[in-house]
Parts: sequence; C-alpha cells; structure tokens
Amino acid sequence: MVGDKVTLEIHREETLEEEDSVSKFLLIFFIFTISLVANEAQDIIKKLDENMRGENVSMKMTMRVVSLSHERTMKMQSWSEGTKKSFTKILYPPKDRGITFLSLENQMWQYVPKIERIIKIPPSMMLQNWMGSDITNDDIVKQSSIVEDYEPKIIKKKNTLVTIELIPKEDAAVVWGKIIINIDTTTYTSNRDVFYDEDGEEVRQFIYEKVKKFGKYYIPTYWRVQSSSKKDNFTEIILEDVEYDTEISQHYFKKSALKRFSR
Amino acid sequence: MFSFALKNILFYKGRSITTFILTFISAILFIVYVSMMDGSHDSMLKNSLKIYSGAIEIYHKDYRDIGGNEYLIRDVESIEKKLSLVDGVELFSSRYETYGLLSFGDNSMASMVVGIEPKKEEQLTQLKVALVDGEYLKYGSQNCLYIGSGVAKRLKVKIGDEISFIGGASDNSFVADIFMVYGVFKTGLSEFDDSATFVSRDYFDKLMLSKNIASYITVKVKDLDRVDEINSEIIKLLNDENLESLTWKTLMKSMVETMEVDSIFGYISLSLFLVVIFFVIMIYGFINVSSRIKEFGVLRCVGLSKKHIFLLLFYEIFILSTFALILATPIAGYICYYYSINPIVIEGMAEMYKDYGIVSDEIPFSFDIFTISWNISLIYGLNILSIIYPYFYINSFKSIEASRHV
Repeated sequence: MVGDKVTLEIHREETLEEEDSVSKFLLIFFIFTISLVANEAQDIIKKLDENMRGENVSMKMTMRVVSLSHERTMKMQSWSEGTKKSFTKILYPPKDRGITFLSLENQMWQYVPKIERIIKIPPSMMLQNWMGSDITNDDIVKQSSIVEDYEPKIIKKKNTLVTIELIPKEDAAVVWGKIIINIDTTTYTSNRDVFYDEDGEEVRQFIYEKVKKFGKYYIPTYWRVQSSSKKDNFTEIILEDVEYDTEISQHYFKKSALKRFSR
Repeated sequence: MFSFALKNILFYKGRSITTFILTFISAILFIVYVSMMDGSHDSMLKNSLKIYSGAIEIYHKDYRDIGGNEYLIRDVESIEKKLSLVDGVELFSSRYETYGLLSFGDNSMASMVVGIEPKKEEQLTQLKVALVDGEYLKYGSQNCLYIGSGVAKRLKVKIGDEISFIGGASDNSFVADIFMVYGVFKTGLSEFDDSATFVSRDYFDKLMLSKNIASYITVKVKDLDRVDEINSEIIKLLNDENLESLTWKTLMKSMVETMEVDSIFGYISLSLFLVVIFFVIMIYGFINVSSRIKEFGVLRCVGLSKKHIFLLLFYEIFILSTFALILATPIAGYICYYYSINPIVIEGMAEMYKDYGIVSDEIPFSFDIFTISWNISLIYGLNILSIIYPYFYINSFKSIEASRHV
C-alpha cells in the first residue's frame, strides 16, 4: 500500500513537471511568435522608409492644390539626407518663388524673400497646412519618423498586401494619433496611408500610384492627399527627377542656405 | 374674524414679534441676495461682451465647427445693408480672423490676427480702453499691429518693433508681411491677451484678398434683454440657410452654464436659510397654537367651523407677514436700487484688478421690480404654508376635548 502511494506521488510529480514544461514551451513559442510578427511589421516599415528616403534623395515636385472651387499649381525642389536634414525650395509660381524651408535636427526654418526674413517654425505649427495645401509642415520636413516614432503592428495580410497600424510611442513628439498604411511587399511601397488624430477621427488620406524604380529604390510618383472633412479639397503631387544616393552638398543643410539658395 | 385675529396678534406679543422679525429679516436678506447674485451675473456678462464678443454674431454655417476659408462670409456688404434695417441693432462690424505665424528674432508663435474696423470696434468693444502702451489703431494705419500683452511678452517686442507674419490668404495662397507694433492691450482675459492681434481691415484686406469677405459680423444691440427677439428678426431678414445668427447665449455657452450653476448653488444655499426660517416660524406658530388649544375648543363649541379656525390662523399670519413685508420691501428695494447705481467696490482689490486689465472690480446689484415681487410672494407663500401643520394639529382635538384641555 505504502509502495503504491509513493509510486502515485512520483507519477503526479512527473505529470506536473511535464505540464510545467509544456506551459513554458507555449509561453516561449507565444513570445517568439509575437516578436516575429512585431519584427516583420518593423522590417516592412523600415524597408518602406528606406524606399522613401534612401541614403539621401533629391527630387522635383509639382503640386496641384484644389480648394475653394479653384486650383493652384506649385513646383518645388527638395533635398534630404536621412531623417534629420531636409531642404525645400519653391520654384513656381513667381509670387512664391524663392521661399525656402530647412529642417535640421527637429527644427524648422522658413525664408521668405518678399519680407527678407528667416522665420523659425515652432513645433506647435507642424500640423498646419503647408502653403495652403492639404499637406502639413511635418510632411515637408519629415520631422517625425515612422520607424523611430511609431510602434508598428500588422493588422491584415492578403497576398503581397500588408496593412500596418502605427501607434505613436509614448515619448514620441508626433502629430498623429494613429496611421494605417497599406503596403505592397513586392516593392515595399504604400498605396494608401490613412491618418487619424488623437481622438481617433480620420483626418486625411494619402493615395499613392505609379510606382517607379530609381536605382535600387521603389517610390510612387503620384500622390493624392485627400482631406477627410473637406471632400472637395485635395492636393496632387507628382514626383519628377528623383535621384537617390547622390552627392548632395552639405551647404544645403545649413541655415545660411535658406537665403543663399533662395535665389 | 379679521379683528379677532388682530386682537390675538396683540395679545400673543412674543409669538407676533418673533414672526414679524423673522419675516422682516428673511425678506430683506432674500431680496438683497438675489439682487446681488443677478447683478454680478449681469456684470460678468456685460464685461465679457464689452471686451470682444458681440451680443449677436453672424457666421457662415460650419465656420465655427469645421473652420477654414471655405466657410467665410463672402458678401458682407449685402448683409450689412440688411442689418441696418433692423430696429434693435445699434451697431455692427465685420471681422476677418486668421491664424498665422508671428515671428520676431528667434521667437515665433501662432497667433490669431484679426482685421477690424478700428472706429467701429472702439464703440463695440473695450479694445481701445484696454490700451496699455502705444496707440490704438485707426483707419489707414497700414501695417500697424495692435497686440495683446501676452503676445508682446512672448515675442519680446516693444512699440515700433517689426514682426514678420506668415499665413494663408482667403484663397488659401501663401502670404507674408511685416507688421509694426503700434499698440499693446490688456483686457484681463489671459487667453485673449496671449493670442490676439489686430490690424486695420483696409490694409489687411489687400494682404489677405478679403475685401467684402469676413469671418463673421458682430452686432451690438440697443437692449440686451431683447437679444432673442432681435436675433429672430435678423434671421428672418437674412433668409439664407448658409448663414447662422447666434446670440451671446450660444456664443458664450460655457459662461452661461457657469452662471446657471452659480445661480443654482446660490438658490440652494438661500433655500436652506429659508427652510430654517420657515421651520422657526412654524414652530413658534405651533407652540402658540398648542398653548391655545382650550381657546380653540371653546371657539368650536360656540359655533366656529374648521374653516373659521383656518381663516383665523391665516389672518394672523397674513397680518404679521404683511406688516413685516411692508417694512422690509422698501428697505431691501432701496438697498438694491442704491447699489445698482453705486456698485460695491471691493476695497483693496481695485489695484490688483487694474493689474489684470480692465475687468471691473465692482459688484453692482440688480434692481428689478419683477424679481422683488416674486421674492416677496415666495416669503408670503412660505409664511402661509407654516400654518398648515398647526391647523391640522388643532383640528386633531374634538371640540369638547379641546375646551377641557389644560
């Protein structure tokens, strides 16, 4: 009898040990899966961001702003290096020609030839519309980075299309409450970004088309920005002369460039 | 029965004097307190309306909720023509409001820049009175900027300094200009002083392409009490579903709600006081009636009905209340009237208040016959209610039983 009891006890302990090992394995498997999924989302976002920025990129842009039942066209050229440096110059219309923007280490300045002043744009103005269009100052300087400032999460997968939700990190100084991006993983380019404010209300959409390959990078060359509250207003951007990883003079990324390259 | 009640009042002096004094004091306190509360609310409202908001403001629909140049009023002149036909309208003026970036040296800030008609605003608001440095705007003052004290502090500018402005014109195109600091104002409303700046409309319209365009039209009425009636007339005359005409009650909703909450709390605290007075009067009445059980028994035995007993008690309280209120009402009315034209100034606060701007340090009372009348009626009502319980108490005794009561 006593022998039977001891055998039973040993058997129970063995069973408990087995159950413990299974739960540990499941936990590790779960964490591993989660981290894999998280890494996958992070990788996709990184590749998307690399496509948009390269080591450095320069391009010409034609912007058509449709609002108040009429349209305006603007042309500009931009140079950027990584996430911290960018320079933009307005080329057209003549009224605004020579207006320049510089973004350095999360700070933004604007030079306006008409008043011959360099104006520092405060962070509180980052969400303001840029030059009357549907894009913001933040879009121009790309001050916030989708890689560094947001936590990505895959919410849908269908063939090569992946939908990723970006939620701002707790300490990130960003302007959006949430961004949902639809990415084509064959080119790692987005076809639609939906931006939400802090209350979860949809604010605008970026629709991307006409993906082209420049060197090793893919980028959509047609962007349409649609405001969610004003359905009649939209902004179209066409990218031209896109050049990646070329030699960009560091002179563009100095405050003196604002006046110097304005002419 | 009336003369019998009068005799009782003179006979039971203690109870009569107590009821008289309590009614007298509670009437004075009630009338004066309500007058002070209404007066201070009126004063708060008038101060706010004087500073910047109008009694009525006309907007394009969705301008306040969504905003943007799509919702600007684009035919100001025709609306102004219609407004001049409305009888109760004293004055009106259009404003073009925009948000832009002001910058001086390394300091930049987002600010509300408003194109105004300086002469009209002088009569509509206290903007000119709020001047603390430099000069107020005038027609043709070009690129002169009249700025809030908070804006001046943040940009670290003084009179004569040049501020850069960038923003969007009425057609959403980019605009930039240099403004010169011409005057600094301080109204006491910190949020307003920290963000508002003004330019003469004749100059601003050229810059913003906003001739005959306005963010809204502000209207001053001849009689603020008729604001709803005048507003209905304006809506009828405008006859445009894209426009909305709103009174201060909607425009200053949060302030109205604050005043309502304040009134509710005021009336609650006052009602507690009145309840105490009511019970004291009732208890005195009850004690008095309790000591007169035998008397009421005898009266019932000699043929007085329950109705007569009620009438007797009613006359007693009515005579006492009437005497007390006849004396209290003129005194309370005079206090209200006196302080409505000579508002109370809180000693020692004047200097501090001046430092905060033009917000008044006066507490005016309201003198309103209707308010005083309902105050008196309420006291009357409460006093009459105080005889109900003693009446039922005395009737709980049978006539014979009561006549033998010791």
